[in-house]
Amino acid sequence: MSQYRVPGRGRVDLSRPVDFTFDGRSYRGAQGDSVASALLANGVHLMGRSFKYHRPRGAIAAGSEEPNALIGTSRGAGRFEPNTRATMQEIWQGLETTSQNKFPSLKWDVGAVNDAAYMLFSAGFYYKTFMWPKSFWNKVYEPFIRAAAGLGTAPTEADPDQYASRYLHCDLLIVGAGPAGLAAARAAMAEGLRIVIVDENAEPGGSLLSEPQARIDGLPAWDWLDDELAALKAAGVRIMTRTTAIGYYHYNMLALCERVTDHLPSLPADTPRERMWRVRARQVVLAQGALEKPLVFHGNDRPGVMLAGAAQTYLNRYGVKVGNAPVVVTSHDSAWYAGFDLQEAGARVQAIVDTRPHVRDDLMDQARALGIPVRLSHTVTATSGRLRVSGVRVNPVSGAAVGAGQQITCDALLMSGGWTPSLHLFSHTQGKLAWDDDLTTFLPHETREACVIAGAGRGLWGIEAALTDGAARGREVAAALGHPGNPAAVSVENDRPGSGVSQKELPTDRNPGRAKAFVDYQNDVTAKDLRLAVREGMRSIEHVKRYTTNGMATDQGKMSNINGLNIAADALGRPAPQVGLTTFRPPYTPTTFGAFAGYQRGAHFEVTRKTPIDPWAEAHGAVFEPVGQWRRARYFPQPGEDMDTAVRRECRQTRESVGIFDASTLGKIEVVGPDAVTFMERMYTNPWAKLGVGRCRYGLLLGDDGYIRDDGVIGRMAEGRFHVTTTTGGAARVMNMMEDYLQTEWPDLDVWLTSTTEQWSTIALNGPNAAKLLAPLVEGVELTEDAFPHMACIECTVAGMPARLFRVSFTGEIGFEVNVPAPLGRKLWEILWDAGQQYGIVAYGTEAMHVLRAEKGYIIVGQDTDGTVTPYDAGMGWAVGKKKPDFVGKRGLARPDLAAKGRKQLVGLLTEDRSKLEEGAQIVFDPNQPIPMKMVGHVTSSYHSDAAGRPIALALVEGGHDRMGEVVHIPMPDRTIAAKITGTVFVDPENTRLKI
Amino acid sequence: MSMEISSLTPGVLVDTPAARVAVQPAAGRLSLRARKAALPALGAALGVSLPTRIGQRAAGGGIEAICLGPDEWTILTPADAVAGLLAAGAGVDHPHSLVDISARELTLRIQGPRAADLLTLACPRDIDTIPVGEGRRTVFDGATVVLWRDGENSFRMDIWNSFAPHLARLMGIGARELAAEPA
Repeated sequence: MSQYRVPGRGRVDLSRPVDFTFDGRSYRGAQGDSVASALLANGVHLMGRSFKYHRPRGAIAAGSEEPNALIGTSRGAGRFEPNTRATMQEIWQGLETTSQNKFPSLKWDVGAVNDAAYMLFSAGFYYKTFMWPKSFWNKVYEPFIRAAAGLGTAPTEADPDQYASRYLHCDLLIVGAGPAGLAAARAAMAEGLRIVIVDENAEPGGSLLSEPQARIDGLPAWDWLDDELAALKAAGVRIMTRTTAIGYYHYNMLALCERVTDHLPSLPADTPRERMWRVRARQVVLAQGALEKPLVFHGNDRPGVMLAGAAQTYLNRYGVKVGNAPVVVTSHDSAWYAGFDLQEAGARVQAIVDTRPHVRDDLMDQARALGIPVRLSHTVTATSGRLRVSGVRVNPVSGAAVGAGQQITCDALLMSGGWTPSLHLFSHTQGKLAWDDDLTTFLPHETREACVIAGAGRGLWGIEAALTDGAARGREVAAALGHPGNPAAVSVENDRPGSGVSQKELPTDRNPGRAKAFVDYQNDVTAKDLRLAVREGMRSIEHVKRYTTNGMATDQGKMSNINGLNIAADALGRPAPQVGLTTFRPPYTPTTFGAFAGYQRGAHFEVTRKTPIDPWAEAHGAVFEPVGQWRRARYFPQPGEDMDTAVRRECRQTRESVGIFDASTLGKIEVVGPDAVTFMERMYTNPWAKLGVGRCRYGLLLGDDGYIRDDGVIGRMAEGRFHVTTTTGGAARVMNMMEDYLQTEWPDLDVWLTSTTEQWSTIALNGPNAAKLLAPLVEGVELTEDAFPHMACIECTVAGMPARLFRVSFTGEIGFEVNVPAPLGRKLWEILWDAGQQYGIVAYGTEAMHVLRAEKGYIIVGQDTDGTVTPYDAGMGWAVGKKKPDFVGKRGLARPDLAAKGRKQLVGLLTEDRSKLEEGAQIVFDPNQPIPMKMVGHVTSSYHSDAAGRPIALALVEGGHDRMGEVVHIPMPDRTIAAKITGTVFVDPENTRLKI
Repeated sequence: MSMEISSLTPGVLVDTPAARVAVQPAAGRLSLRARKAALPALGAALGVSLPTRIGQRAAGGGIEAICLGPDEWTILTPADAVAGLLAAGAGVDHPHSLVDISARELTLRIQGPRAADLLTLACPRDIDTIPVGEGRRTVFDGATVVLWRDGENSFRMDIWNSFAPHLARLMGIGARELAAEPA
């Protein structure tokens, strides 16, 4: 066993050794160790290099606030994770870890040249250095900065792990399973109340895990903890460990990230790596405790320099001495106990150095009894050692005078600048903070959420104070939940209450301008950087933060914010509360993308809606395209065909004989009730009152601004029943818009809407042989011009299936749309496909559909319109019922600018060189005008058209309807294309082909 | 291209010690919309007393009704009874809308010791607050569904056809995930 492991101390299981590697070298730890504690047990303090100066660094903390000891962890292909905090990663047999920011090795790193050149890298370095010459930015500076920036190495392989998410509802969520949180749960718990305690650590207990000396209600702290946890669990309280509350959102919604498998030596089947919990809690108790502040002095970042509280945790929770000859430097009582504990564990504490002139007598007495030298009114001015601290220089302070330095040899330096409440989650609620002069820190004050703070999180110190306050807060939330709460009286022996003073950077007898006194370890921000920022004109703490990057690293300033504020406030000569604190934002700790994505990745990324006919299309080699949430068959290539060839074939066969098309994705709404026709009159531009039962009509829907929103064919199935179709992408939007009008404007109408999009499979048949193919299968109507003319609809039977049959055409050919109950669609499709073989039937996709409709000048809403096109702009004034008293958009259409001349209008374009235009290409009138040219419109649709014998296009052009025959120009990267403005109908303008 | 199912057929989708999810056989389903005054007449015609509190259910004569909104009900019925109910509704002399939605959606039955937990994977609603014997229109994995609670750990979920494979996939993942959880 290593000389740093202390038998009899800690909660790790020394009988269960665990081997892992760090930078290729094997180390042995014990079950329950973190990577940091296991490395420290092996005497390894050097765990990483800093980001900017590449300075050697070790673990400074023992928890999630750790800024330095960031490592890569790996468990095989695709499972490399950078920037893992060594203090939080539990070791398991076979774990591979690596250090970061070093080349070629952690001990000898080339990048450390930055450290020697540190005077160059002052605050605002980037702003000052990379300003000129301007042309260098893209090619030199930015690539250089990007290459140098970032912590660790991003993985390149796809992440093979599964991630999960769940919702959780509870009456009370307690964040933090330390004494305050546990006491709150105990005080609040009641029959039927759902209470959840969440803690980011591997085991609950919080500070109790580091303070086994305490006796609570007569029991040793850890025995009390075991009993308490058992009692809470027995009462139904749910305790979630390895779970970090990362964000606090509106109405008591909190996000928790649970690490499910990162601590396991082998990955269990069907188990996600992490799980995001979305919690809605009626009441929240934040019992997150406090974070210890470093002291700011030259060399306060050397490996072996760490927080005193962390050293106490390593000793008492993990059974690890962080050094054999430590020195303690502090401005708070708590660090004294760390020294006492280490001394009792066999270390020889070289000195306790306190910045304060007076310290409690009992602390002085105990130090004396343990034989620890004490120096009061002292400052620290330097440390020595290269990869590990080997000495510390301390100086007496008298008033403003700093005396001569004395060297003390040590192998660890434990520091404490006092404690600052963990305010992060509270800040997420936009809660107000209040400055506490005694504690020289901000405390939580007011929040609009149903949330209270307990224990050290609001500045209370000591186990008894935390237990008492936790119980009081627990009863407070119990009352809010309608329960009396439970009484609790606790007595704590061997408690360690304490106090301290807050410091800016420690005074020094040397040039403070050359001091490397770190405030933000992860971003390498020093006290001198902060003072420089103030000298250079930064006044707001937000500006100081951005200029120096203080608090902007992945730890979000958990250690640096208050120290940074104290120093900035001193430099500004203003009190800290007037300078204020920067904003904390979620997540509390860095969170993987996987946890945010949850199940929504790969095949499950987003719902893909498929029609009942989709499997047929897939089996027949369709190429698909997404349309809204749907996937639709775009074309059906035969062997050797590209898209153009396939689409031309599909169009040709449809116009020559018959084509079959899956139109099931069209939105469908059943409008039913005695006032259905009134409703339709008001919603759509077209007149409906005179539309007979068994007839259908093209309907145009506007927004109240007068612009086209949607369109579709609408059939009147009965006096008070319309079968409305909408565009595929517009179905939900149209339904919502209709419901909105019905519920808010016309609640008096007796009419109701039912979405029937998915009730029906819709199969379109188009082509000269469509009627011949369909007629033998139809019972209930003869498919003749007289019995079932264009724009007729009927409920009948098709191939023995109940059907709604529409005679409509989106191609200009004889056309039918057969609606059958959705699950029957595939069967009907196959019947039609088989029956159509004698006619050479072709299945066509959305691309051919687009071509066929464009040849006839039928618009596609959203392609030929863009939300600023009126019916008149689209050449569809005929669809507007001018005699109707009102309809949605009528008033909008009357606005002067919508009736003005020169609006962009939909026209056809035929290129003079017979080339195909690009959709989206801009149009100008005069190609010889100077750049920037005045753009007068754009191409909305463009296709090869065999039926027209040339490429065709639709375009929106300023005043286009009055420019028939004029030539416009489409500048392209390589040339300018001339095109003639025409009408929008390219094929069969007389509609002769619609006749059976 | 994935060869995943694009439509589900009746049968068991997943069966683990945590939960069993099965696609139910096709059934008749009607959407009824009407004002309060029409309810007695409609109830008499359809043969079920229509509940008036949202989420409440009623059953009788082989049909079930659930109130989904102030003027909205879904009626479940054997498939062969749909035509008869539509005809009965047509005879009611109060304004209303009765639309056959039998083919629009399918139903999953979700049972097993962790059935309620399985729903928490993707339903933002507090499942505990849905009493046994009631139902709710809610959201599961982004899709609107109607959830029927038949027992403490027995649910039915009505899902529009095209969303069902997506939701069913998550049910499968979830049922296995829950079964793998240490006790």
